[in-house]
Amino acid sequence: MYSVGWVKKKMTSEKKQTGGSLLFDVLQQHGVEHVFGYPGGAIMPIYDALTDSDIQHFLCRHEQGAAFSAVGYARAAGKVGVCFATSGPGATNLITGLADALADSIPIVAITGQVATSVMGSDAFQEIDIFGLSLACTKHSFQVTDINDLEKVLHQAFAIALEGRQGPVLVDIPKDIQIAHVVSQGSVVSTLKNKVNLPPANVGSAIAMLCHAKQPILYVGGGVGMANAVDELRDFIDITHIPSVSTLKGLGAISPDNENYLGMLGMHGTKAANLAVQESDLLVVVGARFDDRVTGKLTEFAPNAKVIHFDIDTAEINKRRAADSAILGDLKTNLPALAIPLEIKGWQQKCQQMKADFAWDYNHPGSTIFAPAVLKELSDKMPLNSCVTTDVGQHQMWAAQHMSFDHPSNFLTSAGMGTMGFGLPAAIGAQVSRPTDCIITVSGDGSIMMNVQELSTIKRFQLPVKIVLIDNAKLGMVRQWQDLFFEGRLSETDLSDNPDFVMLANAFDIKAKQISSKAEVSGAIEEMLAHNGPYLLQVKIDAADNVWPLVPPNTANDKMMEST
Amino acid sequence: MNHYQLLIKADDKQVVLERILQVARYRGFLIEGIKARVNTGTNIGTIELMVRSERPISLLVDQINKLIDIKDVKVDKNTTQ
Repeated sequence: MYSVGWVKKKMTSEKKQTGGSLLFDVLQQHGVEHVFGYPGGAIMPIYDALTDSDIQHFLCRHEQGAAFSAVGYARAAGKVGVCFATSGPGATNLITGLADALADSIPIVAITGQVATSVMGSDAFQEIDIFGLSLACTKHSFQVTDINDLEKVLHQAFAIALEGRQGPVLVDIPKDIQIAHVVSQGSVVSTLKNKVNLPPANVGSAIAMLCHAKQPILYVGGGVGMANAVDELRDFIDITHIPSVSTLKGLGAISPDNENYLGMLGMHGTKAANLAVQESDLLVVVGARFDDRVTGKLTEFAPNAKVIHFDIDTAEINKRRAADSAILGDLKTNLPALAIPLEIKGWQQKCQQMKADFAWDYNHPGSTIFAPAVLKELSDKMPLNSCVTTDVGQHQMWAAQHMSFDHPSNFLTSAGMGTMGFGLPAAIGAQVSRPTDCIITVSGDGSIMMNVQELSTIKRFQLPVKIVLIDNAKLGMVRQWQDLFFEGRLSETDLSDNPDFVMLANAFDIKAKQISSKAEVSGAIEEMLAHNGPYLLQVKIDAADNVWPLVPPNTANDKMMEST
Repeated sequence: MNHYQLLIKADDKQVVLERILQVARYRGFLIEGIKARVNTGTNIGTIELMVRSERPISLLVDQINKLIDIKDVKVDKNTTQ
């Protein structure tokens, strides 16, 4: 999905230009057409150079919004996302977005302005050591202190963001570097060395394990989409007919129509997926990392299974679960090597039976709206190639459980970091990258307030983003845990003083509607999807509704709770 | 508690030492000592890092190896207890 053939032209100009101007030339060489950002004092020369550039800038209303829009852009389009911020608070406001991109391996390049090199280290106005702060939340970072290094550093930033396991890169550029003059060297070829020598894939032993397995399960993670290996994964499934499960970030990699696909595994996974994994004798793990939300109690996760682990990142092998066979490298190359027909008909039938026995039940008494049914209907009615983003909480899990996605780039959710406030700006980035596709963000009344200022970005650029706001006037997931695991002692989870969301949307010229009964659902979804511009649909639900099933913390995945 | 000594070779780039120390701390390794020097001819830094942890040293080696400026990481078996 993410292209590494990014160099479009070689610079041959001998003219001197400013650092700011050179930045935009390099961005264009990497195919950048859109950036997200917010100006300020220490990045003014770059914003001055922007006015002479063909690159379109999207002014967000908070630097965190800019970072998440860059993430959404990258994930929806398979390109590197780019965001700008000034020094000090502008730079620190990017950090949550960078951390989110690191956790989910998203290639973004963040450009920060910095105070001039002559005053760096003097506690100057709006000075913060963003270079130091970046160490824990980026794949790599640079601070440019010599104008002659700028061009090479920018090329390296793109190469590092895309190479191997992708991730965010920050380039901090002091103000005097932005205005200094330099002649482009035309150094368009990355100087990255392939430092990690991956050992040859141990395919032989893996094939033997696969042939001997009686109850194998394919456990698919976000790495499949990142490696652009969805086709290879589906070919593997078509040949092996292996029963499969997906992580949150892997959703969309497996066709939702596949008869052997059991859905998401883990804390809020399907009963069929979790039981099948627990009973399996072989896990074929593809681009996944045994995250604690997936495994539950690690020592009791798939206790009888051997493990074949495919990954691009050596450090993920044996990190949380020992691999009996590790196949390192590009999934596109390595997956076909294991695609062999399997004799597992009895196991397939058992998994299919569990899938049928534990299928979702959308029967819900009373007239109050049942969020899972709303999201199922939305999923069924949304146009092909729609892209859905979410925030974090109950609505996120309901979306993961009850909506269907045919590609990982059509479901963007903050998986590793679990960042509330992700959904709205990520949807903005997705809409910018895919202007003709339907972009829907499913949010909650807690999450949407985390980056609600981005409604202004939607208004400014007339982006037709559809917002489905699941509103229980609570921090619902925390409330659910307080009810279940803290003896019902509710603490700071009541949001009954939320603003009037319809009025709030209208204030940004966004059409909006509130519904609170089942009878209104179908018409409201159809009205929203038919609307040409942005639309906010506020869906009032019962504050006591919980997400089921739920594997309690530090518990094996087969000991899930299904109701109170 | 296991004690380990790592021999790390790295490009002499900005904050490479900070990156190594940050990774060691975050991944659960207590730093017991460090020696670092740079060959100004090759611009290659050599770092000897003494750490202790309950965790397997392979965890730290793999994570340090991922840092962009690192050229090589070895566990000194003579000093590992």
